[in-house]
Amino acid sequence: MTSAVGSTLRQSMAWIHGWLGLLAGWILFAMFLTGTASYFRPEITQWMQPEFRATPVTKIQAAETAIAHMQRVGADDLQWYIYLPDARTAVTRIFEQRKPDPKAAKRRAPEIVLDPATGGDVHARETGGGEHFYRFHFQLQLPHPWGRWLAGLCAMFMLGAIVSGVITHKRIFADFFTLRWNKGQRSWLDAHNVSAVLALPYHAMITYTGLITLVAMYMPWPVVANYAKPADFAQAAFGTPTERVATGVPAPLVAIGPLVADAERRFGASVATVVVRNPNDAASTVTLYRHASASLNGRGPSVTYAGRDGRFLEGTGDVGPALATAGVMLGLHVAQFAGPALRWTYFVLGLTGAAMVGTGLLLWTAKRRRPGAPPFFGLQLVERLNIAVIAGLPIGMAAYLLANRLIPAEAAHRADTEVATMFWVWAAIALLQLLRPARRAWTEGFAIGAIAFATIPVADTLTTSRGLPGSMLSGDTLFAAFDVAMLAVAALLALGAWRSARSKPVAKIRKTLSETVHA
Amino acid sequence: MFMHGRILKAGPLPSGRRVRPLVWSMAFRSVTALVGGYAAAAVLATLIARLLPIARVEATSWGMILSFPIYAGIALWCFHEHRLLRVAAAVWGIAIFGGGLLWLLGVRP
Repeated sequence: MTSAVGSTLRQSMAWIHGWLGLLAGWILFAMFLTGTASYFRPEITQWMQPEFRATPVTKIQAAETAIAHMQRVGADDLQWYIYLPDARTAVTRIFEQRKPDPKAAKRRAPEIVLDPATGGDVHARETGGGEHFYRFHFQLQLPHPWGRWLAGLCAMFMLGAIVSGVITHKRIFADFFTLRWNKGQRSWLDAHNVSAVLALPYHAMITYTGLITLVAMYMPWPVVANYAKPADFAQAAFGTPTERVATGVPAPLVAIGPLVADAERRFGASVATVVVRNPNDAASTVTLYRHASASLNGRGPSVTYAGRDGRFLEGTGDVGPALATAGVMLGLHVAQFAGPALRWTYFVLGLTGAAMVGTGLLLWTAKRRRPGAPPFFGLQLVERLNIAVIAGLPIGMAAYLLANRLIPAEAAHRADTEVATMFWVWAAIALLQLLRPARRAWTEGFAIGAIAFATIPVADTLTTSRGLPGSMLSGDTLFAAFDVAMLAVAALLALGAWRSARSKPVAKIRKTLSETVHA
Repeated sequence: MFMHGRILKAGPLPSGRRVRPLVWSMAFRSVTALVGGYAAAAVLATLIARLLPIARVEATSWGMILSFPIYAGIALWCFHEHRLLRVAAAVWGIAIFGGGLLWLLGVRP
């Protein structure tokens, strides 16, 4: 396996597969794990604000309370983006775009979060919630736009690794049924193959569609070649309403309720988002977007009304096959169409993605370890980074959730402190493991992770009134399911600790010519 | 025979004099795959968008959708083809000549 470039297709692909996986593996593991958690983004946010129990309201009520609030605080804004609550999100979220003020610093107005029943503040602890995992998943906590570029580069490596990995596997269907435990390197190869092959359609789909979510940033050149003004593409593709310049003539907004009702009748589905442009101007418009749960296509249609009299102005029509393809790819990635059963399936498949990347990284070290010989620097480096990421990141994520329960609810800047806790704990684990022999560090890392996740439901019970087992008995499904899921994750990590403690030092395994280990 | 697979492995390395040119050729190959591959994929995707005789918005979208598999294919081929000159000529050639062609075509009228 020393030669690669210029050999047979399978050999060269096996070689590049190993390099792509090694170079991007750690970031991909983190993207898979936090992305998998993000399938439950609104649920995580609800769990992280245990004081807040939403009163169920209709879309119309929520829209009315949101508009009333914005009329008080931002009547002369340029735009209001109002995200209405739904079955999974308890609060109304609003972004306002203020008129440019030459005196004020150029900063985006902070997000407004409202109790949809009252239109007042949400009386709950400040937190980043599930939004933090979601943002980290594609921004990697780096300044814009570098995080997104790095995530895109790693996703491209992943796409290359999938294609080259498939070419490498001539025995793809046999591998489907092959898992030999306790055989050292052979077992890691089998585990890598099983996790990769079983869920291959998911892995290929989620990687490709992930790139599509940010395609406008990664590959804007087709737009540049076809449109003198890139905004024209967005207008044609996504039905951005025609730009209507503010007249300066004031005219109050019509009631929002009938517009929501009319839009829902046109969609045959509920409204998710309300965008008001130039509120209280004679040229104001109200655009309503369909909820993403209504279709596989992630880019739902919209309708636009005149803000002064509620007259129907325009609606997006049917799109062509390319745009429909892109919309469905987006929808498949963010999975907002998925009901509970499919969502859990997505979650499990996401974990197989993390398992595939993780076992691939372990395989790299297992293949290169020689009994009796001292590990060379590269092997030690990869092994330590493996421990830091595969065992360390789950501990960091648990620390984020624990911090939510342990930092006082009224503490200043507590949302930032929660995020900082995750990264400080992760960094501390990554460094402290260096003090331990590698094999012990694996076991202890997983064990700490198991303890941390098992502590989450305990902390929930001790610090809130919604912990186990009360949440189960009172039918507080979200809280009960969340805490049980934490226990399941703890069990999974405990299994990892147990197995890594049991595994004997790898005996030298002869490579058979019929199977390819990526080199 | 290329030896770069050995570089990160246990065991004695080939003498430094033999390794260094291989490192440089591998670096050039990687930059060609990563940067040249992106440029070539961008050019091919943009040519699809610019020349496909269908609605402008649809052609644009197909170009964007297809750009990633094109990039992956080109980049992987860079590590399969043995002759580095051929790799460089094809990838940078597509990028430069395709880019030139796009410049001559200009924005779709």
